Amino acid sequence: MRTKLLSTVAMFGVAAAVAWSGPVAADSNGNGPDFGGHGNNGQHGKGEARTATPIKHLVVIFNENRSFDHYFATYPNATNPYGEPAFKAARNTPQVNNLAANPLLLVNNGNYTNTLNDPNEANPFRLDRTQANTADQSHAYTAEEEAYDNGKADLFPKFTGSGTSGGAGAFGTKGQVMGYFDGNTVTGFWNYAQHFAMSDNAYTDTYGPSTPGALEVFSGQTNGAKVVVGNASTVSDGAGGLTLNGDTDPGYDVCSSTTSQVMMTSKNIGDLLNAAHLTWGSFVGGFNLQTVNANKTTGCKRSTNSAIVGTVSDYVPHHMWFQYFTSTANPTHARPSSTEAIGYSTTQDGKADPANHAYDLNDFYAAVKAGNYPSVSYIKMPAYQDAHPGNSDPLDEQQGLVTLVNFLEQQPDWKDTAVIVTYDDSDGWYDHAFATPTSSSFNATADQLNGPGVCGKGTQPKGLNGQPVNGRCGPGTRIPFIVISPYAKQNYVSHERLSQASVVRFIEDNWLQGERLGGGSFDASAGSITDMFDFSPGKRDDKLFLDPSEGTVVATAPGKSQGHD
Amino acid sequence: MLNRTFLWLLGAGLSAGVVFAAEPQVLPGENPHPIHLVRRPVAPLSAMAQLGRQIFYDPSLSSSGKLSCSSCHSPDHAYGPPNDQSVMLGGPTLTRQGARAVPSLTYLERQPEFAIGPDDPEVENVNLAAMAAVAKTATRAQKTATQTSESAANMVPQGGMFWDGRANTLQMQAAVPLLDPREMDGGSIEKVAEKLRHAPYVEGFTGLFGKNIFRDPQMLVSEAMFAVARYEIEEPSFHPYTSKYDYWLEGKARFSESELRGYILFNDPDKANCGGCHLSQPSADGLPPLFTDFQFEALGAPRNATLTDNRDPQHFDLGVCGPIRSDMANQTQYCGMFLTPSLRNTVMRHTFFHNGVFHTLQEVLDFYNFRDTNPEKVYPRAADGTVQKLNDIPVQYQANVDVSDPPFDRHLGDTPAMTAQEEADIIAFLKTLTDGYKETKLPGDQ
Repeated sequence: MRTKLLSTVAMFGVAAAVAWSGPVAADSNGNGPDFGGHGNNGQHGKGEARTATPIKHLVVIFNENRSFDHYFATYPNATNPYGEPAFKAARNTPQVNNLAANPLLLVNNGNYTNTLNDPNEANPFRLDRTQANTADQSHAYTAEEEAYDNGKADLFPKFTGSGTSGGAGAFGTKGQVMGYFDGNTVTGFWNYAQHFAMSDNAYTDTYGPSTPGALEVFSGQTNGAKVVVGNASTVSDGAGGLTLNGDTDPGYDVCSSTTSQVMMTSKNIGDLLNAAHLTWGSFVGGFNLQTVNANKTTGCKRSTNSAIVGTVSDYVPHHMWFQYFTSTANPTHARPSSTEAIGYSTTQDGKADPANHAYDLNDFYAAVKAGNYPSVSYIKMPAYQDAHPGNSDPLDEQQGLVTLVNFLEQQPDWKDTAVIVTYDDSDGWYDHAFATPTSSSFNATADQLNGPGVCGKGTQPKGLNGQPVNGRCGPGTRIPFIVISPYAKQNYVSHERLSQASVVRFIEDNWLQGERLGGGSFDASAGSITDMFDFSPGKRDDKLFLDPSEGTVVATAPGKSQGHD
Repeated sequence: MLNRTFLWLLGAGLSAGVVFAAEPQVLPGENPHPIHLVRRPVAPLSAMAQLGRQIFYDPSLSSSGKLSCSSCHSPDHAYGPPNDQSVMLGGPTLTRQGARAVPSLTYLERQPEFAIGPDDPEVENVNLAAMAAVAKTATRAQKTATQTSESAANMVPQGGMFWDGRANTLQMQAAVPLLDPREMDGGSIEKVAEKLRHAPYVEGFTGLFGKNIFRDPQMLVSEAMFAVARYEIEEPSFHPYTSKYDYWLEGKARFSESELRGYILFNDPDKANCGGCHLSQPSADGLPPLFTDFQFEALGAPRNATLTDNRDPQHFDLGVCGPIRSDMANQTQYCGMFLTPSLRNTVMRHTFFHNGVFHTLQEVLDFYNFRDTNPEKVYPRAADGTVQKLNDIPVQYQANVDVSDPPFDRHLGDTPAMTAQEEADIIAFLKTLTDGYKETKLPGDQ
């Protein structure tokens, strides 16, 4: 176990307290892990960080706004129309908890029969590859509770039906929230699932949109919000504080909205990693404000043109987990002192590194290529590739994801890497698998799952100050959760209950001897992802190269996989 | 960006017959600063687009049995109207006038959604009324061809399909003429669905959507209209970018003297200033210019007495604020505003402006030239001899009419912005915007 001292250090600002961790082998107590974690870079430490599993590098690709059924409703059966990338399942593909396993839900769905949905009642239906660009659905905390309708999951068209239309070529119809893609569109995801492991039982920790999801995967906690400017999307927690349950930009970020900003006061996994002198970073498309894109845009307004969704700003402040915490924020988007300093708290000469573990996505490619591969990397794609309907789509998402995975698979350290692909929220897309809340909440207006002011039963989960708090009702909605790794079980579907905070728990279990964040974080109760791994000894050289645009399996890595441009 | 001053000099030198000798050395009429245009790769039509093509050309979906999408959006006329009538005729016996001139279906693949102010794809819930309220206090940059980046940020209505922007997607657009009693007059969703169930291309639906699709008329028609939209997105002839002007931008074609003069006048804020709204520069992403800034303008075109709707003197088509569009009726500051169309392939048309009141580009340019300096050349006179300026906009909305963007900042009796020769040169330039340009040798070519 970690000592209490380390936790205290973490709370008082790690950047100042921790020296350059490269040349030092262990912290002053002598009980920290070896740092560096760069087996191929001798000058940093004497070897890999000590880990509980063979995984030495975790890469969390945190995408946006897709439910599990929305991507896997008919897995592993694809329609395979003329001209589209075909998908044929391996014979030993396990059954998953989707609509194909519950065929009545495809033809006689409650969202079709419940007349409250009129005139938008609909059965689930296939979205074609040409319909990758869809409207964005509503995914507010309350709307999602209402859609689940006391567990009947039959009011999606009424409460989470479409918002924006998505541009000239977009598809929109009544009851669109019931649409799902199959292996002819999310081909890459289905192929990863065939070759590696996925969960069909992973949920957002609470109902609600992007910002709560981003906070869960980094801190397991949405309680302890502190409004900086304007009206943050918070709900009174019933114990004198605030819980964040909607989207709000982080405080002080130079790219944030000037009318609404919020900060969080809990601890996060970055604090623990800093205290343990482990290398980690957040790598974000559009974060480097000095970069000038091909279209001459720069600063907060950097943008990229997608043939499918048009020109979209790269950087979205309200998705940035690290910016909500004083200890891990980089509000000015300061650059790291060098590529060698990426992942570290300090520069080579012992000063606090200006980037404070927050970098551009291109820095991830540069650091890994330079042999400086952090132990833990959280990735956010530029917005056009983040999968969020309205500003992204499954095909642009696949391009970004596959490019990154192909790149990692060609690195020497792929042998002990695990990539997790999961989501901040479901966007409100229909998913049939309601989960009875394990964290209740009884806010009179925000909570509507089991009736007015009611979401779940029993005492609410403890908040930051140890009191039961409102605004954390969950599990929320089911999301895809895929593990791509040489150690992932092959063509395996795990049914263990997971949540976004399971990512936090894995980091703690693997690198921090099971230390927990405390303060009511869901890391303490989240399920373990180890069911998706096989750590038994044996030769590990398991790569799956995909074509980034088609998602189909290719024998060798496609050419341009050395960068993210 | 092209250097305007340099082009001025180049144009002047050419018209005087003088060989212009500045860096870089170019042949007469050549683009001194060629650029690369990004064109979308062309792929075979998807199953969806092939289905859409069959629907696009299917007249059986109309009550007359004679109208398909292609009747009014003629592929031989850049998917615009095939004749010089102000509006097309439809309905069961093809005797009812459509409400407005038929817009082209080309170059809509990059059309942004309707919004007040620049479209922001990351904004999740668009509230037009709230946007309009913000826009009321926002300053508006004058629109000139030399400062289009400033005016692009104007908090004014922009984007969408139709003259009033009321459809956001090609799919939504396609459904409207299909059901409009004055156009294809399809009857109802159920009626159209029943025809689709028995269409010769019915297997196209089964292959993509399964048999269940036929149980749900609304869904079936939605998918059919999306298929049409997808055809328009994928089929290259809806957005070929193969005009002489595209090739000129890339240094692969040379302007004639008249075309070059027209190009300069088009972009001269002190002359025609067309480029203030009909942008002639490629996008920041290198996509070819669309010759529209997607914004709405009230220009005050004269009333078209040939429209049956206009027999009612109380009837006014006010664009964004109605009566066809219904959700912006209270935003009277937008009454009289219509969408700025692309000028690509404009010479393929014989009917111009929302009410089709003009039938030649000469008439259109005269309108811009004389609306304020010599309105008697544009508008009819009343019985008492007074000129009925802005006669298609009620008095209370005439303040919405653009009097700030050149050439509409002039006054009665001022010198018009253009001479007859200058108008002719601009028309020569507009002809370079027609797709399908084939290279021809010019004097001086090797």
